[in-house]
Amino acid sequence: MPDGPPQNAGYMIAAYAIIGVVMGGYALRLILRVGRAVGRGTGA
Amino acid sequence: MLSAALTLAAKDLRAELRSRSALMSALLLACLVLFVLYFARDPTAVAPALVAPGALWVTAAFAATTALNRAFQHEKEHGAIDGLLLAPIAREAIFLGKYLANVAFTLAIELLAVPLVVLFFNVDFGPVLGGMALLLPLTTLGFAAVGTVFGAITARAKHAELLLPTLVMPFLVIPVVVGVQVTGRLLGGQTLAEVAGWLRLLCVYDVIFIVLCLLVFPVVVRD
Amino acid sequence: MLVVALVAVVACAVRAIGFTPIEAVQGPAQKIFYIHVPAAWCAFLAFGLVGICSGLYLWLGDRRLDLFSEASVEVGVLLTAMVLVSGPLWGKPVWGAWWQWEPRLTSTLFLFFLMVGYLSLRSAVLEPELRARYSAVVGILGALLVPFIHMTVYMFRTIHPKPVVLKPDGPTASSEMLVTLLASFAAWTFFYVALVTTRYALGRVAAARDA
Repeated sequence: MPDGPPQNAGYMIAAYAIIGVVMGGYALRLILRVGRAVGRGTGA
Repeated sequence: MLSAALTLAAKDLRAELRSRSALMSALLLACLVLFVLYFARDPTAVAPALVAPGALWVTAAFAATTALNRAFQHEKEHGAIDGLLLAPIAREAIFLGKYLANVAFTLAIELLAVPLVVLFFNVDFGPVLGGMALLLPLTTLGFAAVGTVFGAITARAKHAELLLPTLVMPFLVIPVVVGVQVTGRLLGGQTLAEVAGWLRLLCVYDVIFIVLCLLVFPVVVRD
Repeated sequence: MLVVALVAVVACAVRAIGFTPIEAVQGPAQKIFYIHVPAAWCAFLAFGLVGICSGLYLWLGDRRLDLFSEASVEVGVLLTAMVLVSGPLWGKPVWGAWWQWEPRLTSTLFLFFLMVGYLSLRSAVLEPELRARYSAVVGILGALLVPFIHMTVYMFRTIHPKPVVLKPDGPTASSEMLVTLLASFAAWTFFYVALVTTRYALGRVAAARDA
């Protein structure tokens, strides 16, 4: 078997990291906003 | 309705001819673009004839954007659009009028740009005049339609001068790309039959978007 | 629901990285494909739905359609951005180039511009009814434009064939890869739905508050 697959895991990690941070961050932001909106609705 | 549209177009164009400001700035921009594009390439590697189609169509795109900005600028500044809407003209006629004025303005710049391109880039449009005569109106009709509608939209929005090009740009791309492709091929010696596929795409684009814009314009200027 | 969706997506990511075999020719970078492709599908779905809702709004006038479009574009623009970021990160190690003007990537780029334009318009028009109408117009025109962009680039490419280094989908897909990919599709679609419904709900609350 010739030399194995190329060592480019760095790109993968970068992509997953960026996507994870951005999409995860957006999702969390939405969740927090929902929490606040619900709180305002039921609170004083 | 057609006569109302033509009267409207004529009024717009006359106003433009009187002030000439937009026409001049568009022409100057055209010269600037051509100049830069000519000198931007490596003269030993890229023949001017290769850059010429691109240069022509970038100029056309800028001309179109200038035309659109100008068109609704007058209305915005003088509130004239309300006057237009109160008059007993069909909304579609207003669209047609503005649209035809935009088309005329843009075509004028394009027609002035062609000899400039011939001059700066040393290209001969003689043998391809027929094809160009077909191409120029087709592309202009396409991007002017969407531009007229977006012009009406941005007239009531903030930051119109920035918003209009942002919205219009994706729609300019198709006619411009087709324009460049067809111009390049015609200049390279291909016949009209060979570029028919591109022209067909452009025609479909034009028909769909012109009809759509005509239908949608009354919604935009409603109330 | 959103929390569940988030977990599903993370689970897929973990599986993709940990448990799917490394593709022989492309290496680990190929795994980007498990996010890139589903995200792209969701992005186009998002805008397709916006196109439909925009048309329906112009016809029916139901404000909820406008709120849905707003939510879908906001989510969509992020998804599109992710596709545009992951694309080059996959392309560079695999193709050797950061970017290729091929139909799918170019359509995605223009989708991005259309969405950004849509959102810019929304922030520039303050009155809600006007904003809804204008957005719908842009939405429907934009959605119709995307197939044209695709066609144009396709025509351009087939006439100037560029040497394709590797098919972006990878040569053969082992069954494990296929499962991961399908699971990823499902997870991301679910994620999209969750994000949009949440964002839509927030939009409705905001609209009710402003009324």
